[in-house]
Amino acid sequence: MKGAQRRAPWILLSPFLLLFVLTFLLPVVYAVGQSFTAVDRRGLFGEDGITSSFAGFDNYARALADPTFVASIGRVLLFGVVQVPVMLVLVTVLALLLESASARWPGFFRAAYFLPYGIPGVIASILWSFLYLPGFSPIVAGLGKLGITVDFLSAGTVLWSIANIVTWSYAGYNMLIVIAQLKSIPGEVYEAAKVDGAGPFRLAWSVQLPLIRPALVLAAVFSIIGTLQLFAEPQVLRSVSSAIDANYTPNFAAFTSAFTYNDLGVAAAQAVLIAVAAFVLSFIFLRLVSRRDS
Amino acid sequence: MTVTSRRAVLEAVTTVGLGAALAACGAGTAAQPVNAQPTIPAATGPVKLTYWTWLKDLQSVCDVWNADHPDIQVEAVWIGAGNSGGYSKMYSALAAGGGGDIAQVEFQLLPSFLLQNGLVDLSRYGFRDHLDSFRPADISRVSVGDSVFGVPQDTGPMGLFYRRDVFEEVGVTPPATWQEWLDVARAVRQSDPARHLEGFNVNDPGNFTSYCMQAGAEWFTVDGEEWVVDLTGEPTRMVAQFLDQAFGEDLFDLSLGAFTPGWYAAAADGRISSVITGSWGDALVESVGGTEGKWAVAPMPRWPDTGFASATLGGSTAAVMSTSQHPHEALEFILWMSTTPEAIDLMIKNSGIGWSPSPDFIGTVRQQPVAFFSGQNYNEEVFVPAADGQNPDWIWSPIYLELNDALSTAVRTATSGGTSLADALPGVQDRVLDIMRHKGLRVRSAS
Repeated sequence: MKGAQRRAPWILLSPFLLLFVLTFLLPVVYAVGQSFTAVDRRGLFGEDGITSSFAGFDNYARALADPTFVASIGRVLLFGVVQVPVMLVLVTVLALLLESASARWPGFFRAAYFLPYGIPGVIASILWSFLYLPGFSPIVAGLGKLGITVDFLSAGTVLWSIANIVTWSYAGYNMLIVIAQLKSIPGEVYEAAKVDGAGPFRLAWSVQLPLIRPALVLAAVFSIIGTLQLFAEPQVLRSVSSAIDANYTPNFAAFTSAFTYNDLGVAAAQAVLIAVAAFVLSFIFLRLVSRRDS
Repeated sequence: MTVTSRRAVLEAVTTVGLGAALAACGAGTAAQPVNAQPTIPAATGPVKLTYWTWLKDLQSVCDVWNADHPDIQVEAVWIGAGNSGGYSKMYSALAAGGGGDIAQVEFQLLPSFLLQNGLVDLSRYGFRDHLDSFRPADISRVSVGDSVFGVPQDTGPMGLFYRRDVFEEVGVTPPATWQEWLDVARAVRQSDPARHLEGFNVNDPGNFTSYCMQAGAEWFTVDGEEWVVDLTGEPTRMVAQFLDQAFGEDLFDLSLGAFTPGWYAAAADGRISSVITGSWGDALVESVGGTEGKWAVAPMPRWPDTGFASATLGGSTAAVMSTSQHPHEALEFILWMSTTPEAIDLMIKNSGIGWSPSPDFIGTVRQQPVAFFSGQNYNEEVFVPAADGQNPDWIWSPIYLELNDALSTAVRTATSGGTSLADALPGVQDRVLDIMRHKGLRVRSAS
């Protein structure tokens, strides 16, 4: 009986564990191994034999020696420093407005703001690419009639055009996280604030904002990781913008190395670097936030 | 992207890792390269072949063959076009030991598949007896020494498609030389500031490569088991300086690469008035709305005193994958497909191939005037001489895509006020040497 009890959790866990190990842990281990591997070819193409060998940190050195890959890291950091705070401010304002006592049709607007999240990233990027493309875009045409010439796809602007797509897509989702947290604030807290004479702004600043901080921290961590993973938006916009190269973001660079150049060693090294960067950045952010708490 | 979790990061790693896992089996552990193994004799019974291709409706061509050859049945399997999925699928299949018997591979990507030992040397199955059925320049692009790794199936000799009505309005004629091209481009710019003679695709500067090919460059040559790279020679420098001048005078519209969505709109209203591209461009030009009868075709501009009449852009070969158990039968079918008038006509009609691989037969419909192109018999007038006027010494490298992206970066820098393209070439060459060494190849620079 006792043995059966001890076995039961493992038997119940086994379907999960099996898939987890096969499709998750092993490939991660394999990718890390691949990132330390180089190939050597004999003959003009390797027709006389191809051998793999341990390469130490060569692939990592190559990845980091590539100026376009390093530029892509700088690019997403800049993107994150600007886009994440802008989106979080927008998200907080939207959530507070929709949850304020004087809001009209909050259910309708909640759904409306959330709607873009239901549109897959690739489709959203295609939609926006036509809103950016001169000759197709009513926005560009309309601004042109007002005497304002804009180029949403130039080297200086396209990163912010991508930021706009990302904000459009994910603000509604993050807003819902914040609203959920707002809804969990007990009514007594509001009543107490009212008794103390707090107006709507004082209520938002001193009561609601501190209490939704955990939700904002969560949204921020997701957004930092998401920023490092930018891929679909630049890949789609590349077909209409000459300012986006095949290594525009770190993920794009890893994809290009793996599936365009068929250079799996460097691709694996780049992927490991991205994962490590996401881990380190999230960790630093959480440390900063928790230090302020204590 | 913003809501993806830590799990998604790991998943991204995993995806790349899985690809790595699949491909590594092929690269690292292949027992003996396919072309060092004994040849596979012709089958004694009926065989079934699969042909991985992105040509549309190629099955209709196979069906004609199948009706006459009950012992060799060919099935066309549609895969994503080249770099948009098809090649990834082929690399994975090679690594896993499966895949089709025949595969469509673009000329410029053929050597990249050789890096994986992915293709059968067709000279071991008697292909050298059929070399006369093809153009020598096409054969030189699929050969390494005496080995031949693909059969030309569809090529792309280049010409100049232009809006005849716009040229007449501006008062210019198609440029015969690149020097004249500059004059025509300036005249078009002066006629209307919104107009450009041509667009240039910064993300895919394949046209630059083709112009160098035309000018007589030999970027890659083979010396024994060593590659020799020459991206800084005189022909390449001349073309780069030409482009630098054109970029400097704003003669190209850099936001309108040929055949992008914006390009079609611009070509329809005359903001773009010409395109220098492969013969396959005719089908795409015909889809520019409301311009029937307004286009005409001229030969590609030439370099004075040097180079060749034309170059190629695009084009595909039919290659036999190393995993095929029936190379003999596969080659038999491919030869029929690429040399028989009936098959060529069908490939033009149903699959839209850009140019017949056979020097003896360009296709029935291509021997007649075409109303869309001002009633010009442009295929015989322009593209037959273009197909014959090719640089016979040009071969493709095993790092075409890497080089194309490096050139794209150089063009992007040159067109945004940085180092000129001509000055960037030595750096691109160094990068090419580095990439090839990293692939485990032996390589040196020509100079």
